[in-house]
Amino acid sequence: MLQAENITKRYADNKVLRGVSLRVDRGEVVAVIGPSGSGKSTLLRCLIDLERVDGGRIMVGGETLVDSQAGGYAGKAALRRVILKMGFVFQSFNLFPHLTVLRNVTEAQERVLKRSKREARERAMEVLDKVGLSDKASEYPYMLSGGQQQRVAIARALAMDPQMLCFDEPTSALDPLLTMEVLRVIKGLAEEDRTMLVVTHEMAFAREVADRVVFMKEGTVRCEGTPEEVFDHPEVRAFSSQAPKP
Amino acid sequence: MKRCLTLILAMVMLSSLFLSATAQEDTSLKDILDNGKLILGLDASFPPMGFVDADTGEIVGFDIDLAREVCARLGVELVTQPIDWAAKEMELNAHHIDCIWNGMTITPDRLENMSISLPYLRNDQVLVTRTEDGYGNLSDLAGKKLGIQAGSSANDALDAAEDFKASLGEVVPFDENLTALMDLNQGGLDMVLVDVIVANYYMAVNDYPFTVLDESLAPEEYGIGFRRGDTALCNKVNELLLDMREDGTLAKISEEWFGKDITIIGEAE
Amino acid sequence: MKYFNNPDRLVSLLWQLWQGLGVTMSLFGFTLLFSLPLGLALALLRMSRHKALRLPVQLFILVMRGTPLILQVFTVYFVLPMIFGAAFERLTAVVIAFVMNYAAYFAEIYRGGVQAVPVGQREAAHVLGFARSQAFMRIILPQVIKRIVLPVSNEVITLVKDTALVTAVGMVELYRVARNAASTVGSLEPLFIAGAVYLLINAVVSFLFNRVNRYFSYYQG
Repeated sequence: MLQAENITKRYADNKVLRGVSLRVDRGEVVAVIGPSGSGKSTLLRCLIDLERVDGGRIMVGGETLVDSQAGGYAGKAALRRVILKMGFVFQSFNLFPHLTVLRNVTEAQERVLKRSKREARERAMEVLDKVGLSDKASEYPYMLSGGQQQRVAIARALAMDPQMLCFDEPTSALDPLLTMEVLRVIKGLAEEDRTMLVVTHEMAFAREVADRVVFMKEGTVRCEGTPEEVFDHPEVRAFSSQAPKP
Repeated sequence: MKRCLTLILAMVMLSSLFLSATAQEDTSLKDILDNGKLILGLDASFPPMGFVDADTGEIVGFDIDLAREVCARLGVELVTQPIDWAAKEMELNAHHIDCIWNGMTITPDRLENMSISLPYLRNDQVLVTRTEDGYGNLSDLAGKKLGIQAGSSANDALDAAEDFKASLGEVVPFDENLTALMDLNQGGLDMVLVDVIVANYYMAVNDYPFTVLDESLAPEEYGIGFRRGDTALCNKVNELLLDMREDGTLAKISEEWFGKDITIIGEAE
Repeated sequence: MKYFNNPDRLVSLLWQLWQGLGVTMSLFGFTLLFSLPLGLALALLRMSRHKALRLPVQLFILVMRGTPLILQVFTVYFVLPMIFGAAFERLTAVVIAFVMNYAAYFAEIYRGGVQAVPVGQREAAHVLGFARSQAFMRIILPQVIKRIVLPVSNEVITLVKDTALVTAVGMVELYRVARNAASTVGSLEPLFIAGAVYLLINAVVSFLFNRVNRYFSYYQG
């Protein structure tokens, strides 16, 4: 489903990604863990063109986003196809504050996917129901708790029917109680055999939900494998013993 | 936008073209007759020469009556265009108006920049003081504060009277004579240098406890200003004014505004 | 008291002020009509990724905000005719100068408003597949408007009073009418009456902007 090869990225003198490769197969849930500054969020942002890589190749669902060996970035139309294959959930939710919960979920369906108002609304109510917030459809984001806002953001991504979901530290801005409700929703999605890539600090969650775990440090992948293999790695053990417990 | 920008930057260079751009054939009189109107620029706040009548809102005054008569004799319509006094030369040069006819004192600077008619009225720049201060002559005013209308000929008269100017404590510029006289009344100034005609008007309408010093700065004369080089128009207006003196029209208008004939057309030369 | 014990004269003054008000309001209306959209265009160019678009606009804004408005009025009215030959109508000339000046201020207000929208909003629009123009119109601009209501209201109120500057090119608007009347009667009364009219206009402007501001309070953030 997703293949990233030898990705490099630097900000001025700071080499954030030093040749990272990552692959996510269809139906697979991959968790990326690692200390702050390891480059894991940057990697995720590169995959959906929020950041531009300096080198490497990224393919999503058979479509090339970038290939530094062959022509660099794809054209506008191809970029758009790649972006629409992925749903993206931010750490800071990024709901549109001037729109109701419902319109947060319908706006892109109507404007980007050109769905009819009715179709968009029906799909929105489905996904809001899935995250348990259909009763909040007419409220504005500021009226919701952080956990509820993040669940709306997940619904907004789901409504676009992406082939794959990416989560960028989806619970880092939340307190433990709200973290639980968001993780429950993500876990529910994982159990539906969706293709998911989750950057997270929640070790227990990664261990429980992921089919495969990738441990990054200092811009490189240090180890990857099944949760059991990775969490047994000495470097990971040292890291996860310092990491906050949920 | 970019063009406007360059234009503004080019402003300084262009101002040098001001003087050189006027060397053309003189069609000034023909233009006025062809257009059928004479656009008269005035400050409109200079009673009794040209001002807005408080009761009717019309622009009236001695100069306006004079100009209306001249236009009637030319067979053209008189159009009054209020302008900012400080911008009068620019208004002329930009062809926004045809003449400045508003109690304009003839000064050497203005003679250089405009074609000016024969002098038609005598004007003194007088010093208005508060009666209670009891000033008698110019030497009493050393170190005192003088108010003046910016850009007016009072400025030129003051500049010409170098010794007097040097003796003053401070010169305060005002946009209008009215505000200068009000400041004098409330004690912010010791004197105002102003056209005698203006001084008399305000002392009449406001009962200010003011005294005009007998000693005045260099006596001056009012003239009508035309664009530099518009000699044909200027000459024609001179001719008509002289006619009006001959047939008594000029004296009649003067009596209406000043109670007697104080015009001086044709006297000097 | 040169007016209040003389009703005929007061009526005449009010009639003259009413005509001057027409000129003031035309200048006010035309300036807003053109400078608000022009300001948006300038703001977009100012934020362009291309230097060739950004720098000239930056210079334009610097000059417009950095030089006196009255000088700009003089420039359009007196200098442009020397270049193009034909003179503008007085109103046309001052509207051009005012529009350029106010557009520069509005551009910077818009730019501030756009920058105040968190970058996450643009990123969210991007990952949902919005094109840049769509994201701007649908997501960013509505949030910008809420943020600029108050600074724009400041400019609009200033504009009402700035219209008095055009007396410099001989426009007979509200202030000039009052000034001329003041010269005639030798009293400042007409100026205070004109001041009351400016105050009244700005009371209406403030009221309208408060309504707009209240309208946008339906959401926060």
